[in-house]
Amino acid sequence: MAMLDTAITETETLTVEKQSRRRRGVRVHFTQFKWLYLLLLPGIVYFLLFRYWPMYGAIIAFKEYIPFLGIADSPWVGLEHFEDFFTSPDFPRLLANTLILALLSLLIAFPLTIVVALLLNEMRLTILKRTTQTLIYVPHFLSWTVVASLTYLLFALDIGPLFQLINGILGTDINFLADPAWFRPIIVLQDIWKNTGWGTIIFLAALAGVDQAQYEAAIIDGAGRFQRVWHITLPSIMPTIIVMLVLQMGQILNTGFEQIYLMTNSLNRSVADVFDTYVYFMGITQGSYSYSTAVGLFKAVVGVVLIFGANWIAKRFNQAGIF
Amino acid sequence: MNHSKPLAGAGIAVVAALALTGCSGSGGGADAGTGETTELTSLSIMAPYLVTNAPQDDNEVEKALEDVVGVDLDITWVPNSSYGDKVNITLAGDDLPQVMVIQGKDPGFVRNAEAGAFWDLTDYLDDYPNLKTTFPEVQKASSVNGKVYGVFRARDVIREAVIIRKDWLENLGLDMPKTTEDLYAVAKAFTEDDPDGNGVDDTYGLIIPKWPGTIGTNSPWDALETWYGAGNRWTERDGELVPNFTTDEWLDAVQFERQLVEEGVVNADYATFDSANWNEPFLTGKGGIILDVHSRAGVLMNLFKQADPDNFDSYVDITGNLEGPDGEVHALPTTGYSGFLAIPRAKVKTEADLRGVLEVLDKLNSEEAGPILNNGIEGESYTLDGDLAAAITDAPQTLKDDVMSFSQLGTNVNGFQGYLPKQASDYEQQMYDKRKEIEAADLENAEFDPSAPYVSDTYISKGAQLDTIVADARIQYIAGQLDLDGLKDAIKLWRSSGGDDVIDEINELADADK
Repeated sequence: MAMLDTAITETETLTVEKQSRRRRGVRVHFTQFKWLYLLLLPGIVYFLLFRYWPMYGAIIAFKEYIPFLGIADSPWVGLEHFEDFFTSPDFPRLLANTLILALLSLLIAFPLTIVVALLLNEMRLTILKRTTQTLIYVPHFLSWTVVASLTYLLFALDIGPLFQLINGILGTDINFLADPAWFRPIIVLQDIWKNTGWGTIIFLAALAGVDQAQYEAAIIDGAGRFQRVWHITLPSIMPTIIVMLVLQMGQILNTGFEQIYLMTNSLNRSVADVFDTYVYFMGITQGSYSYSTAVGLFKAVVGVVLIFGANWIAKRFNQAGIF
Repeated sequence: MNHSKPLAGAGIAVVAALALTGCSGSGGGADAGTGETTELTSLSIMAPYLVTNAPQDDNEVEKALEDVVGVDLDITWVPNSSYGDKVNITLAGDDLPQVMVIQGKDPGFVRNAEAGAFWDLTDYLDDYPNLKTTFPEVQKASSVNGKVYGVFRARDVIREAVIIRKDWLENLGLDMPKTTEDLYAVAKAFTEDDPDGNGVDDTYGLIIPKWPGTIGTNSPWDALETWYGAGNRWTERDGELVPNFTTDEWLDAVQFERQLVEEGVVNADYATFDSANWNEPFLTGKGGIILDVHSRAGVLMNLFKQADPDNFDSYVDITGNLEGPDGEVHALPTTGYSGFLAIPRAKVKTEADLRGVLEVLDKLNSEEAGPILNNGIEGESYTLDGDLAAAITDAPQTLKDDVMSFSQLGTNVNGFQGYLPKQASDYEQQMYDKRKEIEAADLENAEFDPSAPYVSDTYISKGAQLDTIVADARIQYIAGQLDLDGLKDAIKLWRSSGGDDVIDEINELADADK
């Protein structure tokens, strides 16, 4: 017993000592790196002030927010707005439209970016490569308003050059801007035209880091170009692809408000309405602040779930996730 | 999720509001007539502008107006296209103006008004000689179930007209249409019979633009439906008020509209064509008929005058509302007002302050201020010829624009407070007189919206979703994307998504009001 007692006391003393050492360690740590922490401070303040404090406003999703009463005094309504939203005839349509657009962009635009990056990487003539790169970056700097105006001009009924060209070749009379069947293809095409070049940057950076010795070895082994791309380039940039994919998943419901809003009209609205435009329409145009906040909140929650889900899957496939 | 607002600020506003209720309560239930009035030195106003550039601070018109009303005017001008958005954002913010132009009773406004965000002016307006309206029925239409939340901005009641290329009619030897059937025949002839005589098939009949509003917003489609006898937004059937799209006449009308589109007598891009370019096809001789407010005819005449000063009188002709298939004229009126000037309680806190604001608004609608708001500055933008104002055509464009913008503050609730315009030529005077004649005749047959003063609770919470259901289905039906059953399904969906509740509530409100 006595021995045991001593043992306990010893352990206790040990713990206390360890704790105080750790505490001292923390203090030393902070004094030692105080300037670094001071540098960090503005960043933390920024996030608290502009990223976390506004989240307080999200509680209006559970209230019947009336600006005159203020956030605190508006009556609570619980999950009413969410129920309204999930049972409204708009919900299935919005969900389908949003998911279809997101999947199209994930399945077409995203792989295309990688393909273009690989193609650029295979170009041997530096000047040609650089010029091509610059030229395909340029559309990224145009605003969606400009892109939408260009589209309207090109596809304008009867007078648009592309309208005439395509309908002339096919012998059809398709009104691209109003036909719901053409809404999604046009959105995806715009997306590709505007963003593919810009998206290649990160992959080109990854490609630059691939060990050149592997290529030399492969050439000696008699690997062709496609074999080299398949067996060396792609596996080397796989972590980058996965990270980009995971990030993309978090963005999946952010279909891009401006682009879709600008291309919507009453004939294609059935396929064009997505969560983002709906939030704008209900919240800003119609003044249903609480309802649209509930929609926005739902969208954010789905985004978080998707990003964690994708990350988990990436890890399962033995690839590095982002966290 | 940008609705963050420091809690303290909101708290103060609420405390102030409570204090305010306390004050008016302690007044011993005295009627509104005994309230004190705060002398204001400045008045902040938020208003839309429809021209390209907003007026500069302290422009001439503003100064002239300040001399009359005796206070500094601090006006926030917002482009008309984004005005509704800006109102909703401003209401959710901390910095409200003392007077806001509210463009209509949309759900957002009603929700705020019912929570007490705006002064209920019902018992106040009659105390002010220039705010006491001579059109009580319009004031009622602008109210929310009888509560007047603003000084309405009066508009002509009859504005709808058929504007037609006169030269085309003459080339084809046709008469002005009198019925919707005539309209179809003329539109068809304009499309197929080469009205401009150039031997090329390059013309069509009706010019219809993309319309931002939903059903019942005086679009060309709405006009046709009213002419068919479907009523105006709402109508009475078997003693009950119902939305126009539940009537058989409405279904007939949209079938007629679909026929117009199918036969190509309407411009094919009617769903995407920007209404800002509405005049162009008419001017350049592509399309020959516009269904819109008659003042557009004046605009078109002026444009033709610039292009062809010698024969400008041979291009434009107008007629009023057309006879429907039932042989009667159902004229489409406006609501008689275009929004109102409302006073937010978050900014104007006491009754005395409210009376101060109303005092200024009263002066703003006085005989002295009226000509400034409606005509501009004498000697610079117009000269008086008898009691008519002749516009000075070479006045600087900014001055003309400023006058246009300031007219947005005009209320004219007791009749037009400016000088009527003198027309530049005999032809224009003749057309103007014709327009006035048409107005008088159509007023007799105007189909007023019987539901105008009533706002139903379901509509406030779900109106935004409901409105688009039928409006989209209508345009899809006209475009041939939906068949008649699909359209009827949309109307059923409207009913089941809350529309039936709206009908019940509107009828309850109407019955209670009888």
